[in-house]
Amino acid sequence: MKISSMRYLIHQGFKGIWKNRMMSFASFCIMLVSLLMVGLSVLLALNINRIIGGIEDKSEVVVQIKDGISDADREQLKNTIGALPNVNTIEFYSKENAWKSMMDGMTQEERDLFNYADDNPLPDTFRLTVHDIQKMTETTTQIDTFANVESTRSPTAFADVLISIRRVLGIVSGAIVIALIIVCLIIISNTTRASVFARRKEINIMKYVGAKNSFIRIPFFIEGMVVGILAAGAALALTKFAYEGVYSIFNDDFKLWSVLGVSNLYSFDQLFVQVAVSYAVAGAVIGALGTSFSTGKHLKV
Amino acid sequence: MVEFKDVSVTYSSGVDALNKINLKIDDGDFAFVVGPSGAGKSTLIKLILKEIDATSGEVVVNGFNLKKLRRRKVPALRRTIGVVFQDFRLIPTMTVYENVAFVLRVIDAPAKYIRSRVPYVINLVGLSHKAKNYPTELSGGEQQRVALARALVNDPKLIIADEPTGNIDPALSYEIVGLLKGINECGTTILMVTHEHDLVRHFGGRIININSGNIAFDEVIGGSDEDK
Repeated sequence: MKISSMRYLIHQGFKGIWKNRMMSFASFCIMLVSLLMVGLSVLLALNINRIIGGIEDKSEVVVQIKDGISDADREQLKNTIGALPNVNTIEFYSKENAWKSMMDGMTQEERDLFNYADDNPLPDTFRLTVHDIQKMTETTTQIDTFANVESTRSPTAFADVLISIRRVLGIVSGAIVIALIIVCLIIISNTTRASVFARRKEINIMKYVGAKNSFIRIPFFIEGMVVGILAAGAALALTKFAYEGVYSIFNDDFKLWSVLGVSNLYSFDQLFVQVAVSYAVAGAVIGALGTSFSTGKHLKV
Repeated sequence: MVEFKDVSVTYSSGVDALNKINLKIDDGDFAFVVGPSGAGKSTLIKLILKEIDATSGEVVVNGFNLKKLRRRKVPALRRTIGVVFQDFRLIPTMTVYENVAFVLRVIDAPAKYIRSRVPYVINLVGLSHKAKNYPTELSGGEQQRVALARALVNDPKLIIADEPTGNIDPALSYEIVGLLKGINECGTTILMVTHEHDLVRHFGGRIININSGNIAFDEVIGGSDEDK
């Protein structure tokens, strides 16, 4: 195909948007709403996931070290544990430290009571965080077998709750997003079908003068793609507005929400590129495919 | 050249539209196709354009054997044929110029050729002064002349006119057929379907009468304008 023809077809695509502005506007609105619904759902799911991830990261495994081992043995144990694949961070927490922090958390009367004991009954510990909370039990069982380990404590019950919340959330949000995408595709293909139907006469004439299917399709394709990208731009602006609104509510009331790990929320700037690219690609692809599928039906003359 | 060999068409509804038709239209011919509604005239045209396929028999159009012609090649066939419809079928969102130029764009003609060929053809049908108008701003006769220009622009071997005078004033009908005659004199084969017997009698030439799927009559008669 010649460049001049290609230019003509692209030009026709752009002209088509204006000539069929009512239908273009309808497609634009439908696509905008669809992108917003799917986009905001995904953003919500991402953040909930991240909050849970934050809570998970804070859940520590405590490894009690046998009393009276040498510093060298302790250092070696630390390295052995630290080398386990699932261990993320490991920190030594001396019995003096533990004692001090326990005292800090007590009232004066309680402290007095404990001060009668001159000996520090607390053990030296390692506190470690894991990469994958699902493998926490596995990891602690392994650590239990090491020499010089007295015992391990891990929030397995809590971890199980988090794991199941995450799983349910993943399934629910995945299902919602898939359902939304299907609904959107149906609505969009119907809208473009109406738009193509309005121009079936035009397509019919093109067929009679010997136009190849690709020649008929390209302008529709471009038209759909441009409308899709415009909708993506509008969706991006609205998403930014809505997201930052909600984000600032949480951030202003930081203390109230910090218990939920809100400090872990993504800021919009962090997500901007991903959101923009996904919207643009989704808009362009859905718009272009939607129109070409619905043109296909009218090409069989 | 159009050739039908023992062509029958039976629609899926069971209606026999054409019944073992044999017909040959040579290059440079001008033929009127007449006959009552439902006789099979439209079926004939649909066959030539490969909108439908013959149930049996063979159709050859401009060297294409339509039975063997693949879907993908149909545009190539249609590019050798110009079609004029009763209802004009112009694209309402395009100007006269664009409607005509469109055909050349479809066949990927060079932009320079389009710029010289389109005004020439529009001038041929006498509409140069309306080239920038939209179809809705034209009278029926003018719209049909645009359609004629569109059929012509690609310099096709064959022009099919499906009741081209059906929607326009009788006086203008003569003008349209006159134009078709002129085109024919330049060597283009013309096949014109019509109901208007006055018109046929006036111009004369080859008359193909189709009745209930059969060719009832296929002869050359003298036109009244030739007596003059």
